[in-house]
Amino acid sequence: MSSSPLLAELIEALRCLPGVGGKSAQRMAFHLLERDRERGLRLAAALDAAMRRVGHCSRCRNFSEEPVCALCAGSGRDRHVLCVVESPTDLAAIEQATGYRGQYFVLLGRLSPLDGMGPEELGLGLLTQRLTEGEIEEMIIATNPTVEGEATAHYLAQLARAGGVKPTRLAHGVPLGGELEYVDRGTLAHAFGSRQVL
Amino acid sequence: MRLDQQPAYVLHARPYRETSLLLECLTRDQGRLGVVARGVRRERARTPRSQLEPFQPLALDLLLRGELATLVAAESSGAPLRLTGDAGLAGLYLNELVVRLTGRQDPYPGLFDAYARTLPRLVETAELGWSLRRFERDLLEQLGYGLQLDAEADSGEPLDTAGWYRYEVERGPVRCPPGRGHALRGEDLLALAEDRRPSTQGLAALRMTMREVIRFYLGGGELRAWRVLAGAMTRR
Repeated sequence: MSSSPLLAELIEALRCLPGVGGKSAQRMAFHLLERDRERGLRLAAALDAAMRRVGHCSRCRNFSEEPVCALCAGSGRDRHVLCVVESPTDLAAIEQATGYRGQYFVLLGRLSPLDGMGPEELGLGLLTQRLTEGEIEEMIIATNPTVEGEATAHYLAQLARAGGVKPTRLAHGVPLGGELEYVDRGTLAHAFGSRQVL
Repeated sequence: MRLDQQPAYVLHARPYRETSLLLECLTRDQGRLGVVARGVRRERARTPRSQLEPFQPLALDLLLRGELATLVAAESSGAPLRLTGDAGLAGLYLNELVVRLTGRQDPYPGLFDAYARTLPRLVETAELGWSLRRFERDLLEQLGYGLQLDAEADSGEPLDTAGWYRYEVERGPVRCPPGRGHALRGEDLLALAEDRRPSTQGLAALRMTMREVIRFYLGGGELRAWRVLAGAMTRR
């Protein structure tokens, strides 16, 4: 289809990105070659450096190019609270939406036997080790409110209690600005069950 | 072929393409099916993602063509079961068991009912182990691997309620010295056969026996959920 094998390979390579099919990949490749070679080179360099050097923090498992990430190493964070999330994107969401100043632990998944995700894959050995260091007083469990996320939360809560740490769970309920009529049954039942005294 | 209002449960869901899910469903009439649910991960999907979580009784409209079925519509046909705590882990075990031991599009009449009976038991009783053993017994029966629980292997003699046995896969209960390995009392095997709760020690031995049987039919493999359950139980 293409007269240039290199171009063909670039298009094929771009298709690994989420949401990018053959057509978008072709448009991206042509755009970079036709009018943005300089930034194309920058993209290539950044991609190369990131793919080679970004690993996982040895304390929280978030992406980091240092052995210990800035969040874990920084002195400005509260070392007594630990928030456990499923993925780096969840961590970013909490950082942006809340004023949370504690530390994190990223599971990089959730307990799911059928996906081959068990306690070892989630780095729970490392988490247990951090809990026994004695600094952490509260573990905020921020796994998703799915069946697997809830099972993970239950498992994590047991880990926390065994380590003498208070486990807490994100509340779930009716979304802000929502109407009860349109909230799905499960969410409404949950919100009703965990209502609070005013 | 089209299936309308097919009673079903989602056993597992994994992301498929950009906005879709690939579901493993247990249906009443067609057994386990791989189902593509298109567009359900979009923000304003017609069938919301939350409706396709495991442990919810569903009525599915499906289009069956080739290996995979396509989801046309899904509605819940009852209140979702809230499997919390250990019951949630037990539920994940149940789902892995069904997916690993059954083939797609193999209808096992009775499997769906056995599954649907077990979920509320996991919610309602603290006896998770007993509920799981009952399901394992029924599942093996449905698959054609039914256990021989009321007569000795080979001879076919009725079990001695006070005697000690170990269960040999594909043979049945064989006499053995008391208290050895996974040795079982005759009365505990009979209790499982007659759907009465066995003694607590009997339940523990039945759990190990069932694992051996299941391992055999998995072709020697392990269930991931065993490790999860083991981790959850050792911290009691």
